[in-house]
Amino acid sequence: MSLRQDFRHGGRIGRAEFVQSVRGYVRDTRRLIGLAVAVLFFGGNLLFLLPAIYVLGRSARSVTTIPYFEPAATLLPVGLFLLAALRTMERLGSVDTEDLLLTTVHPRAVVVGLITAEIGRLLLWFGIPLVAIAGAFAVGLGSPSLLLTAGIVVFPIVCCTAIWGYAVGIGGLRVLRRLPTVRRVLKVGGILALIGIVILSQVAARFLVTGTVSIEALLSLISFAPLIDYLALGFVGTPVSATATPMAAVVLVTWLGLTPVGLAVAERQATALWFTDDPVGTNTTDRSSEAAVSSGGFSPPQPFSWTKAGRIAWGYLLRAVRHPQEFSHLLMLVFLVGPMAGTFFQGSSGDQFSLLFAGVGVLFGVYLSGATFGLNPLGDDRPQLPLVLLTETTPQTFLRGRVLAGLAVGLPFGILVPLASIVVGTRPLYGITFATVGAGFSLLAALFALGLGCAYPIYEERELWGAETVAPSTLVLIAYSVVVMGGTVIGLGITWFGLTGNLVVTGILVGGLGVYLLPTVGLPILSYWYSQRRYRRYVLD
Amino acid sequence: MPSTTDSVAIEAIDLTKRYGSETALDRISLSIPTGTVYGFLGPNGAGKTTTMRLLTGLSTPTSGEARISGTPVDDRRALVPHVGYLPETPPLYEEFSAREQLEYVADLRDIPTETAQSRIDSHLDRFELVDDAGKRISSYSKGMKQKTAFIQSVLHDPDVLFLDEPTSGLDPRAARTIRQSISEFADAGTTVFLSTHILPVVEEVADRVGVLFEGRLVAEGTPDELKARAETGAGGTLEDAFLAVTSDVDVAAGAAAEGEE
Repeated sequence: MSLRQDFRHGGRIGRAEFVQSVRGYVRDTRRLIGLAVAVLFFGGNLLFLLPAIYVLGRSARSVTTIPYFEPAATLLPVGLFLLAALRTMERLGSVDTEDLLLTTVHPRAVVVGLITAEIGRLLLWFGIPLVAIAGAFAVGLGSPSLLLTAGIVVFPIVCCTAIWGYAVGIGGLRVLRRLPTVRRVLKVGGILALIGIVILSQVAARFLVTGTVSIEALLSLISFAPLIDYLALGFVGTPVSATATPMAAVVLVTWLGLTPVGLAVAERQATALWFTDDPVGTNTTDRSSEAAVSSGGFSPPQPFSWTKAGRIAWGYLLRAVRHPQEFSHLLMLVFLVGPMAGTFFQGSSGDQFSLLFAGVGVLFGVYLSGATFGLNPLGDDRPQLPLVLLTETTPQTFLRGRVLAGLAVGLPFGILVPLASIVVGTRPLYGITFATVGAGFSLLAALFALGLGCAYPIYEERELWGAETVAPSTLVLIAYSVVVMGGTVIGLGITWFGLTGNLVVTGILVGGLGVYLLPTVGLPILSYWYSQRRYRRYVLD
Repeated sequence: MPSTTDSVAIEAIDLTKRYGSETALDRISLSIPTGTVYGFLGPNGAGKTTTMRLLTGLSTPTSGEARISGTPVDDRRALVPHVGYLPETPPLYEEFSAREQLEYVADLRDIPTETAQSRIDSHLDRFELVDDAGKRISSYSKGMKQKTAFIQSVLHDPDVLFLDEPTSGLDPRAARTIRQSISEFADAGTTVFLSTHILPVVEEVADRVGVLFEGRLVAEGTPDELKARAETGAGGTLEDAFLAVTSDVDVAAGAAAEGEE
């Protein structure tokens, strides 16, 4: 097959993949609502940003005086390269119709198609805001042609970094295939690294805000002159245009030269990945399940064995431990705990430390009690609903099983951490009270999650953090996080004020507590009732 | 042993199911005596799975009603002891082993532990799953999953057994075991509602056959009656009869005749 033919096939594949993605984005009302929320949120921010960009364009006197232009010139290709590599490792390593494509066209065409589609998706998500920003700047500068010249200059960077990112990503997948232990370590390490990055970002932000570290000094370290010279070519024909340097031409030739080389490397890597088997003895997920054997039958330990709901809870726990990808959605917690942990490690000392320790434990436990098994019950049970709905066991028992399974995960944090904080200095009364409050809130969170999850079930499997799983809706996760975290923090605050004797019983206080407690207790009960109703009336239409 | 004493195990009167403007099932009426193996045939998209879901209470009809062993299908709690259902996609927990799955289901069905153990052991042995009973279901072949799901659906000795393509993906030996099991359950008084595309299976085990086409029951009777109606001749098979009664011309003629009446 000729190169031209491969590119033609690649274009067709890219277009098909891109169209498939776009149709996926707007497939149903739920996704459209999600998109609308995102557009409203980010679009609103962008609208407020554009006037500032316009003013920036008007005030620009030279390329080098444009704020953050120099580090951006370096960060742009590096960021695009990393994005492409990570996206490839995450989901572009294969294509849904791989068997069809690989028996129909040359692998090069598949590589070209996948990269083309990815560039298309990149442009779809980031293109509009970037064009808006560049446009506002260009109008401010008085040179609308900037949009065209900047596009021409950036295009080789996008192509080259996308191709090399893909090649490196596929290479990474090949390495991980040969070293399954490293893959497992990386999965855990990746999550820990993510938590670390979130925490460090909080610490770094504080240093930047307090002026301990200069952001300009940091960014100047990563500025690379040849890349700055090259990106400055985009300003040709504008009032801030600088003389083109030979170095800029060298960089351009480098981008252009590296692109076909990268494509050849990507093709070789992809061919090696797609047309070779896993090395014998590697322990992939499927094979581990093949090898896994359970010695006995279904025998839950005490206290789970005491009740049917307990036995069902044990079933949920057992299956989740055997298929931990079901917990992928809990990674959302990283983004909630990270900032808190950052504050926690920096701003506390002595009594504060132990009390914050107890509070964070309660928050963590409460969150997990509902989020672990409660946020998508109908979606989780969907494949087994013909069984679940046609047994003598009532839906209430199944739901109580979910509650118990959630509590089994959350309560150890919600109760044991406050009690453990006594060892590091929390007064026993405070620790015990926090543990009691934690237990109560955990139950409420578990009940609340069920109704919320039943109101907005997700049935389709999707890839989340590298695992195919039926994860709860992001909107449900966010709503749950906001309500539960917010409610628990307020509750802990009230508890703290009560313990330290700062609450004076007045009419306003009693009224305020009533206003707080009514939804805090009422909403979970209502939510649980709703989930029962949904299960009882559920039909497979 | 099934508990029913009703002479009619499955009764449906004018069952209709519409999805918006599309009619999936159009006034289906059935009256299937206890102990019958009822072969339910129809081309893809004819409405067979919809019918089974309506008869098991997993879906609600737009109009019409149905009873299983005298129990209205909308009374799910009263219905569940009477029915066993094996959908086309086996409802199994991939992370369980077969034994764990079956013991779990036995618990959900309130089957006493000793009875459950005895039945599970017996079925596992019969379906040659004993050696693999401890392995995770995710590692099973399609046939092993199907066999596990079949055992699961009969574990509580239901009065009426709904089977949606039960022999799909099975090797000849396992398929024969299922066919024999169906006959044995029927002999013991269980009514079997069998939906399949494998017509020789229906021909072998079914007492009566219903043919669904475009949401309507276009033919019903014993396999021999069906073959005779389709005028397939002495050497005709159920496949010939099926093709004859589900051809558009034939159905249109039947509908026209009904209209004239």
